[in-house]
Amino acid sequence: MQIREYVIRRLLILPLILIGTSLIVFTLGRVGGNPIAIYLEHEMTPEEVAQLEDRYGLNDSLPEQYVAWLGGVLRGDLGFSGVSAAPVMDVLPRRLAATLELSIAAAIVAISMGIGLGTFAGARRDRLPDHLTRVFAISGAATPIFWFAIVMLIIFWVYLGWFPVGRSDATIFASIPHPTGVYTIDAVLAGSWTAFRDAIWHLVLPAVTLGYGATAIITRMMRSSLAEELNEDYVDAARAKGLPERLVLRRHARRNALIPTVTVIGLGFGFLLQGSVVVEIIFIWPGLGRWMADAVLRGDQATIMAYVLFTSILFLIVNLIVDILYAYLDRRVVLGG
Amino acid sequence: MVDTAAPREPLTRTESGPLAVRLRRAGELTREVLRNPTTLMGLIVIVTLISLAFLAPLLTEPNRPDAYQMPRDWGATNAPPGTPGHLLGTTSTGGDVLYGVLWGARTSLRMSLIVVGVTMTVGTIMGSIAGFIGGKVDEFIMRIVDVLLAIPELIFALAIAAVLGPSFANIIFALSVVFWVKYARIIRGQIIHVKHNEYVDSARVIGDSKLNIYRKDVLPNSVTPVVVQATLDMGNIVLVGATLSFIGLAEAGLAEWGVLVSEGQAGISSGRWWASTFPGAMVFLWALAFNLLGDGLRDVLDPRTGGR
Repeated sequence: MQIREYVIRRLLILPLILIGTSLIVFTLGRVGGNPIAIYLEHEMTPEEVAQLEDRYGLNDSLPEQYVAWLGGVLRGDLGFSGVSAAPVMDVLPRRLAATLELSIAAAIVAISMGIGLGTFAGARRDRLPDHLTRVFAISGAATPIFWFAIVMLIIFWVYLGWFPVGRSDATIFASIPHPTGVYTIDAVLAGSWTAFRDAIWHLVLPAVTLGYGATAIITRMMRSSLAEELNEDYVDAARAKGLPERLVLRRHARRNALIPTVTVIGLGFGFLLQGSVVVEIIFIWPGLGRWMADAVLRGDQATIMAYVLFTSILFLIVNLIVDILYAYLDRRVVLGG
Repeated sequence: MVDTAAPREPLTRTESGPLAVRLRRAGELTREVLRNPTTLMGLIVIVTLISLAFLAPLLTEPNRPDAYQMPRDWGATNAPPGTPGHLLGTTSTGGDVLYGVLWGARTSLRMSLIVVGVTMTVGTIMGSIAGFIGGKVDEFIMRIVDVLLAIPELIFALAIAAVLGPSFANIIFALSVVFWVKYARIIRGQIIHVKHNEYVDSARVIGDSKLNIYRKDVLPNSVTPVVVQATLDMGNIVLVGATLSFIGLAEAGLAEWGVLVSEGQAGISSGRWWASTFPGAMVFLWALAFNLLGDGLRDVLDPRTGGR
């Protein structure tokens, strides 16, 4: 019940948060010097600069500028990306596809590894595997992902030579059409085994690297909630009726332990989103994160604003879905209990 | 007040009472915290790293005029670890990795202490205002908190530091803007919790002023979660700060771990692993140690939310 009220409350304040976020993003775009600096060139005359300023409404009052900017955002106009030399909205979908591909692969790694390891440790409480898992889970949250990525590169790319960097082999990539922008899906659609293998081969190392932090979070949560479930009466009942331990774990305890674990998926998603900036820099992955990093270094405010706005909204939506999902699962537990 | 009244006090009231009682309680807590081997390990690593930060000027010759700039030895670029005079090797521009590792500890200590100090103060003030005044003011401050929490930490700090321009001071500023929110939440929650507790009512009945209640009853009770959060933040701030400087938001050549990892990155394809690996490992150790200590403190000080 409490969770339900919480979700309703969250939905009610959502518009407020969205407006607040847009205000922050707008402020970011105005405190950092001239917002059109990246469009200016040396040979421009003062008149041309004034013209540009006029065109972007820099002579209007700040509230007017905010309204004009927000109106543009709502119409899908996020400005012109200096680093990509194209409108933000033209670049965003392509970049997003690359990041989504990487993040989903990382999420698959994190969820499967996290639930597996968490179950393994939770079922062996206070024994060696449990202690090792605990150390792994804590160190996961403390590992600087930029360092972990470099160590992975040194081992698997420089010394072992097992995996490449970048997103694809240029010739293979060019050999198939890209209707979705997600390389693996495009390869399947084109029916090209070579391209598919190329996509997966490039995906493994960055996905494992990016998924590492989230794996640790999920492992930790899964472990503690499973250990808690195993103390419940229904587990004793299942054991008493002669169910093998393996099935007690799989059919009963693990299912219920998954419910609280859902709550950390939002947290894990935040990890993926933030980690993608660094992982994409190091693995030369042409996604949103790398785009943001380029924009940051060149002071490209339109791209920075678009990125922050977009990722914040994405983050909000994911967390909202997680809350609703949890409320739903929670209700099922009450009804089915 | 005589000592016989002590047992009737709620258990959470740990920080008040006669000095001897407080000291004894602190001693008990310390022993309890140190009983956990992982917490103890965290503490040992922290002490070691902070000692390195303090001893840096004795262990390496400070660079002139600015000791926080990496010295360059152009006669020994890309030297592997073990080279005389460059124990951990050098970067492609002759930066001594050991120097960066040691002075980076100083930079990190400075960064985390400043940011924790600022965010704890700002968060405590904002949280106190929200919790005590309540009503519209509380609503307003908490909505700001909600908005700030809606943007992922690293991305928000990255954006702030980016629009302000690349400098270490701007990184510190950006981290301060991002990290105060949790303290405000903690303090506000504690105040509302404590406000409804019986003993505050009794204090009010006796006729204590509001400020006195705050000072004697609310603040001491809020110390525990704040200390835990500050410990965790000491680690996380360095983690996020080093990430920002790795991306390129600190001054080039600064003796800072993230900058050094970034400088060493170019060499890894040629097998020069040391310039990135050592400073990165320092960030890991730093963050890990404070996380272990923070976790251990939480388990002991606040058993309800203990992770085990």
